[in-house]
Amino acid sequence: MLRLLAEALAVAAKDLRAELRTRVAMNSLGLFALTVLAAVSYTVGPYRITAEDRPFLLAVLLWIVIFFAALAGLDRSFVKEEESHTAPLLRLAASPSAVWLGKLLFNLLLIYLLMAILVPLFCVLMGYKILMVWHFVLILALGGYALAVITTIVAAIIARALTRGALFSVLSLPLLLPLLIFLIQGTAGVAEGSAEVVSSTVRAVLSMGGIMTVVSAALFPVVWSD
Amino acid sequence: MSDGIRISFSDVAKRYDLRVVFKSVSGEAVPGEVLVITGPNGSGKSTLLAILCGLLRSTRGEVSHLRGNVEIERQLWRRHLGVVAPAMAVYEELDAGENLRFFARVRGMGLADARCRECLEMVGLDPGRRTPVRGFSTGMAQRLKIAQALLHDPEVLFLDEPGSNLDPSGRDWLEDHVRGLAAEGKTVVLATNDEREMEWGRRHVALAG
Repeated sequence: MLRLLAEALAVAAKDLRAELRTRVAMNSLGLFALTVLAAVSYTVGPYRITAEDRPFLLAVLLWIVIFFAALAGLDRSFVKEEESHTAPLLRLAASPSAVWLGKLLFNLLLIYLLMAILVPLFCVLMGYKILMVWHFVLILALGGYALAVITTIVAAIIARALTRGALFSVLSLPLLLPLLIFLIQGTAGVAEGSAEVVSSTVRAVLSMGGIMTVVSAALFPVVWSD
Repeated sequence: MSDGIRISFSDVAKRYDLRVVFKSVSGEAVPGEVLVITGPNGSGKSTLLAILCGLLRSTRGEVSHLRGNVEIERQLWRRHLGVVAPAMAVYEELDAGENLRFFARVRGMGLADARCRECLEMVGLDPGRRTPVRGFSTGMAQRLKIAQALLHDPEVLFLDEPGSNLDPSGRDWLEDHVRGLAAEGKTVVLATNDEREMEWGRRHVALAG
């Protein structure tokens, strides 16, 4: 187990080092997120939504920005290995489990970094007031994890396909749509201070993340090796 | 020699949809020898190498990786081999040392700083150089790929056009080193069209075009 973790950390550290030198994924994620955020804050702003609609509509906007920014950047992890012809040596050198866990850790880091910058900016620019702050952080953390797990396994599946861009969206959206709905409801719940909604959201997102983790860990060696 | 790894393949065929790469190829690579795979461009040398090292499935036929008469488990097989091939690249955003340290860590060798330096010096690269691989000449990148393949002292070495892009002194070093590895009892499989490299081994498998 410790050896697997050490190998996975090596994969994640390698991806992070390469990313810091090229900034391909960070630029894709960051530019998309900031452009949409700027457009939303300029056109909608903090005052064009009524106080009654505010918790729900702002939750919708927030998660749309996070989801589509993630879709723009997180599919790169495996595609880059295939396009730069580094995948065969990685297949030979590292265990499939270490590769999966390493890529997941790297995607998780990217999505949390995106959230750490985007969410406070969104809340300030849109005047989004959250009543249950720590529950909001929990929903963001769980949502980010589930998002990273799903995008990592889908990225691995599509990396060897020719029509990668289209396939990523086609495979991701059915998996991500229920998650998106839960997260929007939960975020609206924390804005309104509804403990019941938050509790059911946390359970649902935790379950989705858990199920996708188990499915991904079992599926990845087949996807990666064949 | 008897403890080394033998690769036996019989009636191996590969096709992609309707395109037949090769039909029915058989042979054996044994410890202490270099098996040379030859054939014109497009005859499937690299494909056969990928099948023998386990990266690609054959359409038909059987490939066995044996220690004595015991088949090596698929999950363990990758630990025993080193590969140099044009279609397999190292990470161009990282420098040579970072590349080798990464491969050492995922191979469970820890940081293996001393071994990484030793391998870089062995192939004639400066371990202190911090230039990312994208700034390397093709010959230097080839030397790094060779260092990566030798890093974990594998029992089986797959070499696909290993001398390509190397200067004459690099080719001389490579020939001496590969002959030395074979003499130590390692198994070497070499795919080449270079007449000088063809002489490294007595066993040959010739693929038709």
